Amino acid sequence: MLERFNDSAKRKVYALQEFFVLSGKAIGFAFSRPFYGGDLIQQMDAIGVQSLPIVLLTGFFTGMVLALQSSVQLKTFGATMYIGRLVAASMIRELGPVLAGLMVAGRVGSGIAAQLGSMRVTEQIDALNTLGTDPIRKLVTPRVLAALIMMPMLTVINDFAGILGGSVIASAYVGIPTSLYWRTVFEQIAAGGFIFKYIPNDFIHGLLKPFVFGGIISLVACNFGLKTTGGTEGVGVATTRTVVTASILLLVVDYFITQVLLAVLPS
Amino acid sequence: MSDGEDGRRGDDRRQQNPNAEVAPSTPIRRGADEVRVRSAIRTELASDGPAKGEESHPDAAATPSKNVIALDNVFLAFDQPILEDVTFSASEGETIVVAGESGTGKSTILKLLLRLLVPDKGKVFIEDEEITELNFADALKVRQKMGMVFQGAALFDSMTVFENIAYPLREHTELDEAEIMARVTEKLSFVDLDPDRVLDQMPSDLSGGMRKRVGIARGMANNPKIMLYDEPTSGLDPLTTATITHLIIKLQRELGVTSVVVTHDIRSAFRMASKIAVLNEKKICFFGTPEEMAGSDDKYLHDFLGGF
Repeated sequence: MLERFNDSAKRKVYALQEFFVLSGKAIGFAFSRPFYGGDLIQQMDAIGVQSLPIVLLTGFFTGMVLALQSSVQLKTFGATMYIGRLVAASMIRELGPVLAGLMVAGRVGSGIAAQLGSMRVTEQIDALNTLGTDPIRKLVTPRVLAALIMMPMLTVINDFAGILGGSVIASAYVGIPTSLYWRTVFEQIAAGGFIFKYIPNDFIHGLLKPFVFGGIISLVACNFGLKTTGGTEGVGVATTRTVVTASILLLVVDYFITQVLLAVLPS
Repeated sequence: MSDGEDGRRGDDRRQQNPNAEVAPSTPIRRGADEVRVRSAIRTELASDGPAKGEESHPDAAATPSKNVIALDNVFLAFDQPILEDVTFSASEGETIVVAGESGTGKSTILKLLLRLLVPDKGKVFIEDEEITELNFADALKVRQKMGMVFQGAALFDSMTVFENIAYPLREHTELDEAEIMARVTEKLSFVDLDPDRVLDQMPSDLSGGMRKRVGIARGMANNPKIMLYDEPTSGLDPLTTATITHLIIKLQRELGVTSVVVTHDIRSAFRMASKIAVLNEKKICFFGTPEEMAGSDDKYLHDFLGGF
């Protein structure tokens, strides 16, 4: 019994070590030649541009529902004019990064794991190796870089779509003038404080998180994809594991980043 | 769908109307060259003689000289022992066939030669260079001396046939696009595929046999001195099997390439092999010419050869 536990623990530690080795190599290859720029552009399109509709849609409706729910609560205090502040703070600091992250984990993470997993089981990864190409350099590095670049951009778009959705509800349903809504949004951004005089603290919250989430999603997906075994069934397992692991990690890491940022960048 | 199934499906289509003209957009086609090659192979199979109509490469005609490939007392184990005390070598221009039952570690030998695996004990040499101690970057360089043909062809399914064959050239040579196109066309013609028809097709548009041939063309794109084949004829119909076997022989005779072929297919093995290595119980139980194997009194070899 103890021996089995010991073996299982060893395997988990070994898997973790492999993950960190993969991560180190993937980042390291970004600074050495050959660099697959074409693949990076292709992945930026796949991860970023093609995720736009889903991110816009979730952001917009999240902003709408946020405005709707908060209007009910704020009405009891006669403070519905603060809807803009509430929507902006929620979207920029938390919901924007987390929702965009979860959407990308579902859409992009699963796609990367399935693609690399299929390549593994059809010997395409071995073929890359035999053709003298390092699969990590060719497949992992462009995906990780693309995710690191595109996730913050997607989050900014998600934030804006959310605040816009809130604006629609605030003016059409609650009856708050659009100009007042947007003024309170900017007040909220300013109220969070600034770093280096001009950069709002909220933006640091809102951009650092998706940057980290992008790394987590792409590395987890590549790790599970490259380790796929067991044919097409294994591809399915790798895909599921990717989405579950990346989503959980994302929420856990979100908490710790928030803790650190609140300590470092107090409002 | 496996290659084999795909290949059979392609041949089923051809059998339905073997003389039909096929539209250029049809995924599985039958060019005039293919008809000629298949016809030659039918004749060849009927006579069961050596491949005819091929001019020997001057280098290949020469007596084998130095060892291009060598495994020296190689031991390898994962959870259980896989290979024990495996020793064999291949001289320039030779074709070594590694045969044996399933799960005896035949494909593992190819991975050792490519240094995708490192033996626990023993040494592996490629052109007199010991590769077991190489770091990853140097191993990649050694791999460039070799072309590998995978069981399922392992073509990159996001790339066209042209991009697949051009891949090693773009990665490791300074050739310009015109030179790359010329090289790709040359290799496709060598494997009896019509470049004009298949260049822009995706691997999923090809039959199993065509994919294998594109795999061979990609393997030989860099003009490697060594070709490795992992079950090149598995899952193919007898005629396509003969086509692939014919290509391996052609590669050896015309270009003097040293080859290691892992296969179950004894008929093909006897046609292409300079020497055959038979793996049994983790060890090489026989290493010699096909004639020596056929004349052996060893009971296991008799059983292994069956009625052949």
